[in-house]
Amino acid sequence: METAVRSSIMNRRYRRNRIMMALAIGSSALGLFFLAVILATLVYRGIDAINLDVFTMSIPAQGSRGGLVNAMYGTVVITGLAMLIATPIGILAGTYLVEFANGSTLAEAAKFINDVLLSAPSIVIGVFIYGAVVVPMHGNSAIAGALALALIALPVVNRTTQDMLKLVPNALREATAALGAPRWMSMTMVIYRSAWTGILTGILLAVARISGETAPLLFTAGYSKFWNTGLTGPMASLPVAINTLAADPGPDLKRLAWGGALIITVAILALNILARSLAGRRSS
Amino acid sequence: MTASTDFAGQVVPDSAAISRRFRRQDRLFFLLTLGSATLVVALLLAILVVLAIEAWPTFSTFGLSFLWGTTWSAPRDIYGALPAVLGTLISSFIAMLIAVPLSVGIAVFLTELCPARLRRPLGTAIELLAGVPSIIYGIVGLFVLVPLMQSTILPVLMATVGQLPLIGRLFQAPAPGIGLLTASFVLSVMILPFITAITRDVFNTVPVMLRESAYGMGMTTWEVVRHIIIPYTRLGMVGSIMLGLGRALGETMAVTFVVGSVTRLQTSIISPSTTISAQIANSFGDADGLQLSSLIALGLILFVLSFCVLALAKWLIGRTDSF
Repeated sequence: METAVRSSIMNRRYRRNRIMMALAIGSSALGLFFLAVILATLVYRGIDAINLDVFTMSIPAQGSRGGLVNAMYGTVVITGLAMLIATPIGILAGTYLVEFANGSTLAEAAKFINDVLLSAPSIVIGVFIYGAVVVPMHGNSAIAGALALALIALPVVNRTTQDMLKLVPNALREATAALGAPRWMSMTMVIYRSAWTGILTGILLAVARISGETAPLLFTAGYSKFWNTGLTGPMASLPVAINTLAADPGPDLKRLAWGGALIITVAILALNILARSLAGRRSS
Repeated sequence: MTASTDFAGQVVPDSAAISRRFRRQDRLFFLLTLGSATLVVALLLAILVVLAIEAWPTFSTFGLSFLWGTTWSAPRDIYGALPAVLGTLISSFIAMLIAVPLSVGIAVFLTELCPARLRRPLGTAIELLAGVPSIIYGIVGLFVLVPLMQSTILPVLMATVGQLPLIGRLFQAPAPGIGLLTASFVLSVMILPFITAITRDVFNTVPVMLRESAYGMGMTTWEVVRHIIIPYTRLGMVGSIMLGLGRALGETMAVTFVVGSVTRLQTSIISPSTTISAQIANSFGDADGLQLSSLIALGLILFVLSFCVLALAKWLIGRTDSF
């Protein structure tokens, strides 16, 4: 009698466990399914548009041949410029917060403010750069786009630098100080070197994040069909080009948008995987 | 300055001069780092100041009633934030309802069930969802999900949930496929990896001893999750949910493509609608004067919203002391 009661309780517990674990497995499968659907859609719709023209010609008018090379160039230039601005400032700011001011109330406030910037909606950054740069300069420009993206990358680099410097053992700092090295020499020759894979991972992730951004570029770098190299004029980028071309009623330009979508996604996912394998090498 | 020579006859600079030079260099290095850190703080202030200045005409025209104004009309030059703000809040809320259980499920799978060698590749795959640019979510949503919503999902919802009393009204409207609910679906997939990553990390902070003891007492995996892991990581989980919410509130491109651009209040969640970010992305390009100022005011509201959510998340995660 008693064993029957116990086994019915046990059965109920095991049944509930099986249901819940099935749900957990199901949600994981669903997550992978979403990724598969996105990638399959991109390949299915975009693969036709991948040809030599895409990499050699600028965005065409409806009905003529063309590619996306000016948008790719724009993405590389704007992202590169943004990282050139954001990387040194981010690393130096992270250095101050961990090495010089760690634990002080002001540093804690600055860290919090950095996290606020980190989570700021990217469209708000675009609106800010519009008011601060585009309006005074009387027009869209690649520089304004680069500044907007730099503002998104800066808190990422800053935060990663903080996290990585915290992992460097204090014994290294004490040892270099005992050798009589000045602070800057100890940082550049020892501390940064022991933290560099982590910082590099952060930089790569920041590149991956900003090179796919559309919203902050819409009103800053703007859009252009033509091969522009001037930094003070509007410059297309892949995401903004995709945004413009996907809304086009013509099938040719829409196909080009899917081609661009495939290219940028593959590039960004590859960057992500590269960054993660770097991070993995560090931890092993 | 006196220079001496060592036993090999080479000139050895005077040590006081060296330490003076080092001190000067260190001072410069310190100022550089201090300047960079100050710049980060100054940038946040600059964002607030610029947005506030640009949004000022709106608030001086409409006062605080801009916040609950329900009309957004360029021809009449009257602007109210409520439709966009509500659109943002509702779409984010529904996205959380979908994404949170899924994320917790995935985190449970990754920490409790998954064979050790699959853990990393599967975790990476889910995290790759976070790497996909938001414009991609936008076009895949528009060209794959929207037709599916229109042909299958919405008719089924209208025939089932739509017949219920009270909440039925939310599902009764002509449904072209684009709308708030579609935007919520896209958003939920986008924030899934963020919530999953942090939830998995806080699950991993549960001491092995605690976990093993619970299993040792004969608890099932679900009971360990329900009675040990979730209570232990409650605050961290709420923090991760808030961070996901912050993402959802500010997301622009994915939502813009699938939400439509109807700037009035809707009674159903399946009708085309708008959100703060979608409204800015849609109208900013050809707005000027009071409309431009009102769009920037919307941006300011969005910034304040996401700031509040982040502050709450930080406070909750900070209390678990695991980050």
